Amino acid sequence: MDTLLATIPYLGDWSLILAAIAGTAWGIMGGALPGISPSITMALLLPFTYVMDPSSAIVMLASTYVGAEYGGSVPAILINTPGTNSAAATVVDGYAMNKQGKAGLALGISLYSGFIGSMVGLVLLMALSGPLAKVALSFTPPAYFALGVLGLSVIATLAGDSMAKGLIAALFGLMIATVGTDPVSGANRFTFGNSDLLNGIEPVLVMVGLFALSELLAQAALTRDDQDRARSRPRIEFPDRKLARRLVKPQAIGSAVGAFEGVMPGAGGTIASFMAYNEARRWSAHKDEFGHGSPEGIAAPETANNTVAETAIVPLLSFGIPGSNSTAILLGGFLIHGLQPGPMLFQRSADVVHSLYAGLFISIIAMVILGILILPVCVWMVNRPRAYLNAFILALVMSGVYTIHEGLTDVGMLLIAGAAGFLMRVLRFPFLPTVLGLVLGYLIESNFRRALVLSGDDYSIFVGDWISIVLLGLAALFILGSFAARTLNFIRGRRSDRVPV
Amino acid sequence: MTRRTLVAAGLTLAALCPFVTVAGAQDYPVKTITLVTHSSPGAGGDIFLRDLSRFLGPALGANVVVENISGGSGATAVARVANSRPDGSVFYGTTPTFIYTTLLSEPEFGYDSLDPLVNVFFDPEVLYTAATGPFQSLEDVMTKAREGRGQWGAANPASLERQSLEMLKSVSGVNAAVVSHDGGGDMMINVLNGTLDMGVGEIQELKGQLEAGEIRLLAALTADRIPGYDDLPTVREAGYDVAVRKFRGIAAPKGLPPEVVAAWEAAIPRVLEDPEFKAIYEPDSLQPAFLDDEEYSQFIDGFAADTRSFLIETGVIQ
Amino acid sequence: MITRNMVGGAVTIVIGAVYLYYAHQIRVSSLADSFGPRGLPLVYGWLTIFLGALVLGKSTVAVWRLDGEARATLAQEEWAGEGRSILRAAGLLLIATLYLLLLPHLGYPLSLVLLIGGVILYMGAARTWRVPVIALLGATMLWLIFVKLLGVDMPEGFLSTLLS
Repeated sequence: MDTLLATIPYLGDWSLILAAIAGTAWGIMGGALPGISPSITMALLLPFTYVMDPSSAIVMLASTYVGAEYGGSVPAILINTPGTNSAAATVVDGYAMNKQGKAGLALGISLYSGFIGSMVGLVLLMALSGPLAKVALSFTPPAYFALGVLGLSVIATLAGDSMAKGLIAALFGLMIATVGTDPVSGANRFTFGNSDLLNGIEPVLVMVGLFALSELLAQAALTRDDQDRARSRPRIEFPDRKLARRLVKPQAIGSAVGAFEGVMPGAGGTIASFMAYNEARRWSAHKDEFGHGSPEGIAAPETANNTVAETAIVPLLSFGIPGSNSTAILLGGFLIHGLQPGPMLFQRSADVVHSLYAGLFISIIAMVILGILILPVCVWMVNRPRAYLNAFILALVMSGVYTIHEGLTDVGMLLIAGAAGFLMRVLRFPFLPTVLGLVLGYLIESNFRRALVLSGDDYSIFVGDWISIVLLGLAALFILGSFAARTLNFIRGRRSDRVPV
Repeated sequence: MTRRTLVAAGLTLAALCPFVTVAGAQDYPVKTITLVTHSSPGAGGDIFLRDLSRFLGPALGANVVVENISGGSGATAVARVANSRPDGSVFYGTTPTFIYTTLLSEPEFGYDSLDPLVNVFFDPEVLYTAATGPFQSLEDVMTKAREGRGQWGAANPASLERQSLEMLKSVSGVNAAVVSHDGGGDMMINVLNGTLDMGVGEIQELKGQLEAGEIRLLAALTADRIPGYDDLPTVREAGYDVAVRKFRGIAAPKGLPPEVVAAWEAAIPRVLEDPEFKAIYEPDSLQPAFLDDEEYSQFIDGFAADTRSFLIETGVIQ
Repeated sequence: MITRNMVGGAVTIVIGAVYLYYAHQIRVSSLADSFGPRGLPLVYGWLTIFLGALVLGKSTVAVWRLDGEARATLAQEEWAGEGRSILRAAGLLLIATLYLLLLPHLGYPLSLVLLIGGVILYMGAARTWRVPVIALLGATMLWLIFVKLLGVDMPEGFLSTLLS
């Protein structure tokens, strides 16, 4: 309550309002450009904040983060490519809705869910920083490993028709994640003497290749008269009351998962949005719609990753520990102004903390207003004739991926990923397990081996504390449950109508 | 990453600097000096260069801007500088990372394709533990490792920090697991929650927790005690012959004109004496350690030779 | 006859084998843990080969079990139309690769015009005045966003050397 009262006066501060709006606008743009991650968007802005006063600088950077996490969903829905890693789960149902001519509604749902997620996250950040920080502290390497395994168990439902092919796709992702410097010994793995590969392959470039580029390659065979999608009206539609009521459950799941994952350093928005997607599907009354344009399939991941954008600030403020690249840049913003985030920040620079809260609130409002203003233009743009649109998308993704390291190696790898994605389409392998393996591979391997180093190769460390036991137990339950469902379906002969080759 | 925007920011910062150019500075051959770092914005190496650039500009008589080039564990940034014209316009901010990456990954351009120009600071490494934990001194931690099994943390898999712990382990002959992490923050969590007995880090990155009384310093990994932390014994005093020097300096493309070398050798000691700069670096416990072109080249060669023999002994490289 | 899953299984086995080959070349040092930098890559590699063989085997058995008529229909339908779509995709990939090769020499703005114009024509748009105009406008817009607004160091190519 005191926090709230102390925050309110800052809501009228014009320099904060301007910083928040500018940061949010910049963030939405960066997030919407495929290949430009939230952290790159923030890093590009960082030099401009050096000359600002500390509060405005921090607010501007944090608003950029909020905007970028939301912005990622726009290309996910409109051009089948996640603008940020954490929008990957939104692609499936978002793009499907777009193809059905419901782009305006899909964008409306994502904006509305982004608003809900951000607000829940902000309330948690302001009210429960202390308890949430304790959650972050209680996670040891075996618990992180268990969390990664729980994330991977989502594959059981994302695998599609063939479990074997889904697992193969996931292994491809896990393999890509092993490229780079070994997390324990520092040895080079699969770098082939190329120093551009030392830091690993950026997940976002693989995603852009798998989703966007492979879609362009598949569309290359369509002629001018082929209609594979319905046009959407260039206006944004918010869900009506009935739909809004239906979205409450996925949004509740999304914000719960997001709040939990956000506070843990290293977990992040991508895992949160996949897990939220999976849980929303599990508890949904309309399971069959998932994957074919379900509004819930947009609401859950978009609520989750926007909640993460707020709660990820908890470990930064409480310990001075950045949990992701984006919050590391935010930490940089604090340090450049001589502020040290951590336990003492609340006492020494309470004004900065309270203006940050106020700024975040303003940026959430700005996000909604900016979304309503720009989205119709974006829908109009994707309504252009296919030849023109696809030429522009190709140019856009190749430019965007170039900016990751300002080098051509990434663009070359994008083309390889695109070709691989196209082959996976032809051979009917699902993409989502690959993305999941890619995102989780490093987390799982590094913490698995770290835990074994800690315990001296005693495997009982993995069931040594209750967090790990609960998480691993849930993962086992999900996997067994999914196998049981598949077997039941098989026995009941539901699969007999499908060609079994 | 964004040269143009950084130039703009650098110019503004230079204009904000409250003191005026010193005599002799006008001789510098180029207008804009770019300091390249592999650190991301806001990381230790980046902040060091940004703070330095504000004071170097007036001292050298040129605009000094910082450019972040990420990727390749620093190899990309080194390659960029090594391929630049040696006219005094592009420099690289050195840390031990560029030696480790060169030795471990053998990229096309390594530390030996640059000319180490001047050293600026030594950044002291310290051992620390959770304030709520059972360990009061380094000896407590060592006793646990001697009698049972120790669990120590280093921020990165192949780094000076990891090397210092491996050295401590080998001179003392204790049984300890050295766990590497994905950076200092990740490790801090595991120290705070008691998973690790102790961690190793730089004072600058520990400051927040230190001031809040969440962590306790155990010993310094420096040759002498750290000014400002006079009560903190060194690891050597505790009876283990381990001391490391994390350096922060400047390297240049090979073949720099002598007048540029001279300008830098004159500017760095003067900048280090500047009271305003002191007010920035002293609280971070950065130790001014100016080395001129010749001394620094010898220092880097010696450092690389030591690192190489450590890596060969442990079988990391051949 | 060859099904998609047979090709998929075979490709998977090859990928797993190549990956395993390189996994065996990772250096193991004394800084490594007992599980080692090779540990999980070896597991991934073998699992991939096993699953690839499973997919290949299952599909082979399924085809073998089909009667003559069903097999003939399958042979006709399995790859219908895929040849053309693979060729068209390869063509688009070639354009993208050419862009990548020309980028360092021609510079970002000029390569972009060629890329956008080339893809518009390749995708079958009518050859009107619109194509060059849109290519030029699109390239200008992206150039403004990436170079001017975001300040990205895009390759400048021969134009910059001519101008300077």
